Amino acid sequence: MASVSIDKVWKYYGQTPAVKELHLEVADGEFVAVLGPSGCGKSSTLRMLAGLEHISAGEIRFGAKRINDLPPRDRDIAMVFENYALYPHKTVFDNMANPLKLRGVERSVIEDRVRKAAAILEIGHLLERRPGELSGGQKQRTAIGRAIVREPALFLFDEPIAHLDAKLRAHMRGELKLMQRRLGTTMIYVTHDQLEALSMADRIAVMNDGVLQQLGTPRQIYDHPVNAWVAGFVGEPPINFLDCRIVEEKGELRLVHSSFDLVLRPEQAAIVRERYAQREVRMGIRPDQIAISTVETPDSFGGQILVTEPIGGDMLVDVSLGGDKVLVKTRPDFEGRMDSPCYLTLDRGRWHLFGKDDGVALF
Amino acid sequence: MASKDVVEYASPARRIANVAVVVFLAVYLLWTILPIFVMFVSSLKDLLEAFRIPAVGDWSGIALFFDFEPTFKHYTNLFVNLNFGVYFFNSVAAALGSAVVSVTLGATCAYALSRTEFRGKKDLFFWIISTRMAPVVAVMVPLYAIFRSLELVGSLWGLILAYTTFNLPFAIWILKGFFDNVPFAIEEAQMVDGATRMQAFRSILPLVAPGIGAFLVLCVLFAWNDFLFASIIGSGGAKTLPVATKELVQPQNIQWGSIMAAGVVTTLPMMFLGLLIRRYLVTGLTMGAVRE
Repeated sequence: MASVSIDKVWKYYGQTPAVKELHLEVADGEFVAVLGPSGCGKSSTLRMLAGLEHISAGEIRFGAKRINDLPPRDRDIAMVFENYALYPHKTVFDNMANPLKLRGVERSVIEDRVRKAAAILEIGHLLERRPGELSGGQKQRTAIGRAIVREPALFLFDEPIAHLDAKLRAHMRGELKLMQRRLGTTMIYVTHDQLEALSMADRIAVMNDGVLQQLGTPRQIYDHPVNAWVAGFVGEPPINFLDCRIVEEKGELRLVHSSFDLVLRPEQAAIVRERYAQREVRMGIRPDQIAISTVETPDSFGGQILVTEPIGGDMLVDVSLGGDKVLVKTRPDFEGRMDSPCYLTLDRGRWHLFGKDDGVALF
Repeated sequence: MASKDVVEYASPARRIANVAVVVFLAVYLLWTILPIFVMFVSSLKDLLEAFRIPAVGDWSGIALFFDFEPTFKHYTNLFVNLNFGVYFFNSVAAALGSAVVSVTLGATCAYALSRTEFRGKKDLFFWIISTRMAPVVAVMVPLYAIFRSLELVGSLWGLILAYTTFNLPFAIWILKGFFDNVPFAIEEAQMVDGATRMQAFRSILPLVAPGIGAFLVLCVLFAWNDFLFASIIGSGGAKTLPVATKELVQPQNIQWGSIMAAGVVTTLPMMFLGLLIRRYLVTGLTMGAVRE
């Protein structure tokens, strides 16, 4: 068991920085997901933790121990790779036994631990097969088995389920979370899939362009994104952005768009007055926080339905709103037709306002 | 690996081509097998029988070739009187010795070139290959001078070293391609599992086994068939089969029977080697080039 401190860490490839002054504390037993698009520095971070890349500057500590100069084998970690990295010429049993063999563990103990891990992962019947004879899901379980036999202080998972088909991925999310809770081992899990991060992690570190954007619980990340980029990256279907203007009128602040006009509540107005001098802003609102109807109500404003996409339990509706396109998630029995008018109502407390240029969230 | 149908359509040209292919193969087979066959049969014949040849156009006289009493006296002569046991050992030792040294050094070097980035890597790699571009004869004189001053001329070690000089670049060149095709993640997984860099390197050797196998064969073949190095660097103390065979040609007496027997002794081991590792050789030589 170990806590992890990543302290002002930089990673350079030649002159190009991949990770910029990353600061991250992971508590003992915590499940932290590092989320970001490809090339955001999340894999570099994981590889520095594993000891597969040099740390250009800064310090990483496991507990109180500085590990910058320790080779991977002395770090007491286990890693699951994106492409599983199984040894193709060895059986599932030998693949899983490998870390124990390398540490000179007794044969009978190895046998015992591998069988136990295989039982947890439900691959007991595959132990004599080679990776070439396994399905993607089975390979991935073998790779996880190789990580858990040794009971390491820290798990590092690098997009372990990215290559599985959608159904199996959904199933494995639950399983991995359960496994981590049972073992109680600290876990750092790199992924580009916001759904994996939201559903599994205790906390999420969102990275972009080598910089940590936001660190927080899945709820904080989803409900209170610190900037427009995080808001746009997390959430499926993605958040809608609308360019608006702030207008002051009779002591009130109003948010004006070409097709609607909202009065900011006093606490919202106070934040804008205090922190934002410009008038141009971006409004962000998630598709499920907009109500859509074919009948006009007092607070609603009109738009035109572009296309409707039923997706089983929900319906997605593309609405044209004064030159902007807005995606709305609604019930599947919504009766609007293409090219017909519709009326939208915003869930008043739950939309966000971002600075136009810097994208920093005001609320 | 999915194979694809090569679709052929019946046409007059196709039919002619089909016949031509068979004729070509028959001629080619005769061309390649006949000398070996003559060598093998002659080695079992008395000298008089060996030179009994039917007149031109006398096809019934072909039976003459097979009309002989098999004798092993040429083989006995080789191994009892002419010391061919020692030469055979020299050939085996020089070929295997240089193959093992080249594979060991070549694999480690190829691994380093495949895995690490450093300044001048491309130039270094090109320089390594370029040492194979000069013909052997061109470097023979300076090499001889160096070897003589190091007192390596006429010793088996000298011969092994000489072959290694030529085999090593080849080993690096072939094996680098194989290492390039092994994903980094496999060694990284090994190191995270608790292996040192060296253990991780050893753990991926089975994955490049086809390359190592293919190279071993090429290396052994080169040394086994070599005449130039053996006659100059190995002259005297480290005589190999080709050199010893050449010495059977003396001004007053060409020992045809023994020469034929020596040819068989030289050819057979390589034929068996070829059969033994045929599978490796084919997968080995294609696997380095094509990524599946």
